[in-house]
Amino acid sequence: WTAKMAEEQQESSQGEMEGVNCLAYDEAIIAQQDRIQQEIANSNPLVSDRQDLSVLQREYSEEDTVYQLKIKDLYKKYSYIRKTRPDGNCFYRAFGFAHLESLLDDSKELQKFKAVAAKSKLDLVNEGFTEFTIEDFHNTFMDLIELCEKQPSLQELLSSFNDQNVSDYVVVYLRLLTSGYLQREHGFFQHFIEGGRSVKEFCQQEVEPMSKESDHIHIIALAQALNVSILVEYMDRGEGGTVNHHVFPEGGDPRIFLLYRPGHYDILYK
Amino acid sequence: MESKYNLKSPAVKRLMKEAAELREPTEHYHAQPLEDNLFEWHFSVRGPPDSDFDGGVYHGRIVLPPEYPMKPPSIILLTPNGRFEVGKKICLSISGHHPETWQPSWSIRTALIAIIGFMPTKGEGAIGSLDYTPEERRALAKKSQDFCCDACGCSMRSALMALTPNSNPGAEDRQAQELAQQISFKAESSSSRQASEGGAAESEASSAPVQEDAEQTEAAPPSGADGARTPGRPLSPRQRRAQQRGETAARGPASAPPPRPPGPPREQSQAGSAALIVLLTLALAALVFRRLYLANEYRFHYDL
Repeated sequence: WTAKMAEEQQESSQGEMEGVNCLAYDEAIIAQQDRIQQEIANSNPLVSDRQDLSVLQREYSEEDTVYQLKIKDLYKKYSYIRKTRPDGNCFYRAFGFAHLESLLDDSKELQKFKAVAAKSKLDLVNEGFTEFTIEDFHNTFMDLIELCEKQPSLQELLSSFNDQNVSDYVVVYLRLLTSGYLQREHGFFQHFIEGGRSVKEFCQQEVEPMSKESDHIHIIALAQALNVSILVEYMDRGEGGTVNHHVFPEGGDPRIFLLYRPGHYDILYK
Repeated sequence: MESKYNLKSPAVKRLMKEAAELREPTEHYHAQPLEDNLFEWHFSVRGPPDSDFDGGVYHGRIVLPPEYPMKPPSIILLTPNGRFEVGKKICLSISGHHPETWQPSWSIRTALIAIIGFMPTKGEGAIGSLDYTPEERRALAKKSQDFCCDACGCSMRSALMALTPNSNPGAEDRQAQELAQQISFKAESSSSRQASEGGAAESEASSAPVQEDAEQTEAAPPSGADGARTPGRPLSPRQRRAQQRGETAARGPASAPPPRPPGPPREQSQAGSAALIVLLTLALAALVFRRLYLANEYRFHYDL
């Protein structure tokens, strides 16, 4: 009997050891993820210089006919690409940069956009976001818009977007705007959310935390929140040889063009 | 350009704001930075009413990473409470096993409210969590009022605003529970901490490194004080389980104990708990068989 108990006790303390191992395993995963992120960061700027579209061709082998055909198709409409770091925030960074860049030589649109952006914080506060926790992000965003008013060189805008502090704060604010819009229109968006989650839960799990990737629903919400039209070219392994695109919101007249490859967004230029 | 975006320390800017926001104690929580270090705060929280922590006021430290608010704060309880281990860093989860993660628009206040909301939830064997009995927790709640913090000079009797009978904590409680459901806490080991600090060492090197040394010295007094007040108790869950087992074993055959049903396995590890279940089932079968055998001794005679 006592032998049995001792054995049982030993077994249960083994169970506790497993718990500890489990945590160590967690830590190992986190450490490895950090290393991978660091490698990605070292080899990819947050937002790259504009490059010829031919860089895409070189990313895939000659025999990869699906992609090579689709890249040829892209060539019919676009000439350049600007890459963003694949860190889970690429949609927001690509959108933020491409839009402000497009406004550099359009002061009328810039003023309209500034008014929308200025008012947006109040909308969030009215929705229940805490003012003092979101205002730093909003201020950074407004500072960038004001920078654009001064018609800086493209290089200046680019270096702001490559300053991790500034760039991440802009991403946070764009995420907040996306979350705010989804929650404001929860009646509509609820139908598109999987897994029995509420819109609020979805926002807190998939929108507001950094590095959470974006899907259609995020793009629609942000495009509508800021009243900006976005065109996304979808390039995946699907057959057909052509790249499909989608305009958010539908029927808009897009001024910014993004390239989507599974899990990642870059900026395209005509 | 660089000077216009003088965001060399967005964390400092944000923490100053939070310090102003939290300057006055409320009925439920209070937190302020230490005088010499904006990146280390001390806090006090009131145990949630209608729980084993009712009447308790608990004290602890908050350590802010240099990347705050992009990275979550770590929280260390200093008052023995029976729910969180004393002196052990717990952080708002960034584990890949949980979909919930820290959000930059959350604040120290969010973390405090989450802690309050988290107290009545089950520890379930998570590292850094304790599952003391309700009696032990109630005793610790009473005792918690005697705690005084050497580092910040805070006494728990006067740390928070007194509860007024007509105050309505309803909204705050709901918020706390809601948050507690979303956030998960987990113990943070030094490896991930170093990794995260190393990752952004360039941002501001000034105040963060002080934290590590301070921790060793401060974690000691509360546990010592605890030992003095209740010698031999409170036990860790593991010790207690071992003790219970010992007791059962001791009175085992004489008082013909009802076979103890196997408790739900606490560890989340699949393999470990599966093995445990099989073993406990075997033990149970052996027990039952033995009872039958004893009771019906005359019926079967095996030549073993």
